[in-house]
Amino acid sequence: MTGTGGSDPSVPAVQLTGITKRFGGIVACDQVDLTLYRGLVHGILGENGAGKSTLMKVLIGLVLPDEGSILIDGQPRTIHDPLAAAALGIGMVHQHFSLVDQLSVWENVALGEAGKLDSSGVRRRVAAISEQYGLDIDPEAQVGTLTAGLRQRVEIIKCLRRDPHILVFDEPTSVLTPEESEQLFSTLREVVAAENRAVVLVSHKLDEVLHATDEITIMRQGRVVDRRPTTDADARSLARAMVGREVSLRSERAAFGLTEIEEAADVGPEDGQAAETVISDEPVLRIEGVTVRGRRGGARLLDDISLDLRAGEIVGVAGVEGNGQRTLGDLLSSLVPLDSGQVVVNDSVVRTGAPGAMAKAGIGVIPEDRHDSGVVLDMTVAENLLMVDPHRVARHGVMDKGQVTEAAQQMIEEFDIGCSGPDAPLWSLSGGNQQRVVLARELAADPDVLVAAQPTRGLDVGAIEYMTDRLRQTAVDGVAVLLISSELEEILELSDRIVVMSRGRIVGELSHDDANLETLGLLMGGSEA
Amino acid sequence: MTRGARAAEWVVLYALSIVVALAISSVIVKATGGDWWPVVEALVDGSIKAPGRWGETLGIAAPLLLVALGTVISAKAGLINIGQEGQLLMGAAFAVFFSFRIGGPGPLNVVLLLLFGALGGAVWASVAGLLRFWRGVPEVLSTLLLVFVAVQAVGYGLKWQWLLLADEASRGNRNLVSEQLAKDNRIPRPDIFGNEFPITVYVALALALAVAYVLARTVWGFRLRMLGHNPRAAQRSGVSSTVYGATALAIGGAFAGLAGAAMFAGGGFSFGNYRLVPGFSDFIGWTGLLVALMARERALPAVVAAFVFAMLRTGAGFVNSTGVESRITDVVQGLLVLALLVPPAVVFLRDRRRARAAATERV
Repeated sequence: MTGTGGSDPSVPAVQLTGITKRFGGIVACDQVDLTLYRGLVHGILGENGAGKSTLMKVLIGLVLPDEGSILIDGQPRTIHDPLAAAALGIGMVHQHFSLVDQLSVWENVALGEAGKLDSSGVRRRVAAISEQYGLDIDPEAQVGTLTAGLRQRVEIIKCLRRDPHILVFDEPTSVLTPEESEQLFSTLREVVAAENRAVVLVSHKLDEVLHATDEITIMRQGRVVDRRPTTDADARSLARAMVGREVSLRSERAAFGLTEIEEAADVGPEDGQAAETVISDEPVLRIEGVTVRGRRGGARLLDDISLDLRAGEIVGVAGVEGNGQRTLGDLLSSLVPLDSGQVVVNDSVVRTGAPGAMAKAGIGVIPEDRHDSGVVLDMTVAENLLMVDPHRVARHGVMDKGQVTEAAQQMIEEFDIGCSGPDAPLWSLSGGNQQRVVLARELAADPDVLVAAQPTRGLDVGAIEYMTDRLRQTAVDGVAVLLISSELEEILELSDRIVVMSRGRIVGELSHDDANLETLGLLMGGSEA
Repeated sequence: MTRGARAAEWVVLYALSIVVALAISSVIVKATGGDWWPVVEALVDGSIKAPGRWGETLGIAAPLLLVALGTVISAKAGLINIGQEGQLLMGAAFAVFFSFRIGGPGPLNVVLLLLFGALGGAVWASVAGLLRFWRGVPEVLSTLLLVFVAVQAVGYGLKWQWLLLADEASRGNRNLVSEQLAKDNRIPRPDIFGNEFPITVYVALALALAVAYVLARTVWGFRLRMLGHNPRAAQRSGVSSTVYGATALAIGGAFAGLAGAAMFAGGGFSFGNYRLVPGFSDFIGWTGLLVALMARERALPAVVAAFVFAMLRTGAGFVNSTGVESRITDVVQGLLVLALLVPPAVVFLRDRRRARAAATERV
């Protein structure tokens, strides 16, 4: 293979020295050094915003560093754009796919190639690569029909086709099932061991870094805080280095996706929180026989769902994604009307689908996709914090600038929202801080019911810990919490009661004590418990 | 970027694009046998320098500004209203109908006819609003097409005496025109330093301030902007897209209608000389749309933009007297309009790219 053999193994494949990159006042990378050797998998661990992605973008030419030098195979290089990086044998598999759904697998692989399209050649090549690395895939399949795991394979094949000797994987497992992740890592091993390539695995998940790498670099706030061989690392010390303080064992476990689920479930009641919580007898929220049909074809997105929520309890909604959870969240966000059934809050029927009706009735929502209905990116932090109830800082319909700033400042402090001030545009905030804006706003409205849909998705350890604590505290404060999540660990950890959704129906209900991975898994798969 | 740097950037961008437009214009003028310096002089003379001209320019800037303000409001709600020309014409027609068929003499009538004009524009825009929120017809299409319906409808009205047409004694040659507005029903045009312009200029300025204030500071404006930026978040927060959207469209139309009424009752020789005539709207609606575009859909910058576009119009009038062929002066005017619209487009595209880059850089 070109580019992989022949080089002196003692010369690092990549040597980054003193890389510094500033975005405005924020230092994304601060004097970062990184050395990659052939034949090794190097893990880069860090929270969201630690500078991992920026560092990788420097390496593949998407970002030009302000300072620092880059040596590739001992030669100093300046990488101006991804094409230059590709010419140097650097390839990256991005966290977000850039595939064309309408095209087939081989067409996607051929995209971006210059010159005449050699369709049979590309097909052969795809088949060869997929065989060589055990990335089983049909070259003729339409990408739009593939699962996330298979799409990622297409991305990997796209990358391997250029035969890079330095391979970067950016958060590769964020969209994968555990089995798919497992498969990915064995491929990775193969690529490294058999062909002497250098691989970088960027991740914020402890277990996969521990599991799949040879060496680990830990970044925090743009700096490298630690570097060690994986054999010398354990989850606790890595977590401490990554967050910069002790994190609680429970949220750590949830965040890092450690797999001792049964144990996690056992910890729940011991924590004492459940005992403190007083769950009332009267339901606050009653969802009664709710059916919602899709716009076209009339498929049932929600099919005769009934669910009661009482003050002080956390009810988890488990299920494979795409089984009606999103519609349930939308329903409780006044975004879709019902076809039949009713939603009752505190004994009064809510006009579903009427603007703001759910919020007015006392239902706060942390939506699954905050950019969809949770925040307005082009408005300020203060405006986002006051979206639902601007009247409380207004007199005669005019918003009082002083009160707006004061109210926003108060929430920014209480929820520790990282931003340059109430007037910062929301898009300038990191994902975790945007999520805090949503949380702050929804809790400030003093809701009777809080719907949290995938509340920790894409967040880092610290933010997950914060979010879980907040949700628990919210329940203790007497709010009924509906937790919609595809993370079973999260559901098992937080919920007093768990319902499982499949194909728009509730297929089972379990108490916290009866629930474990196996029963949930069976129900999620559509089998009766 | 600091405020100063941003302002400097705007100045440079505008200077650059205007210089380029003038350079191309001069080449064209030269190539067709004209002389380009008199053209520039005529532009300046006609818009501000010659006696009485800046008053004339202000008189044209006022309706442009009104139209632009309406456009700003509907744009904030995320709606693209491009039918101001028709809404303006309808406003003028409503004002005419009120003046000669309902109202009486006196200054109160002036106020009422203006309000009637606003009503006319609002009604016309609301047709599009109704189609949009009842039947889902895109407002871009309906507002645009309603312009042509408005032209025909007003033309029809001018055929009938019980609607808009003047009686035979006050029109010659069976012209299709309305009666002329009586002197005591006209908007006053006081003379200041030899410049004469209707007091609706002040009204338009006050309305610009009011619109800026309402959008920035009131709950209504806040929720309207929310709707424009993210309709789903707005829906969840209790903003009805139907109520707010239809209202924004109606208000947008009302502003255009008000402009039409003001042109009729205070436009003097610039606009039909106190009569409604075919072609009365004279592209003020379309140009007002461009004003809003140049102001990047903000109320206060629209004040400046309206004046600049008015200058272009009054200046072009003088260019015709330089002996350069009128088609060439049309080209020159078109180039200058483009020059005014390029900088906002450049900045818009760049800001969006930066925002995107910033959004993707944060993981």
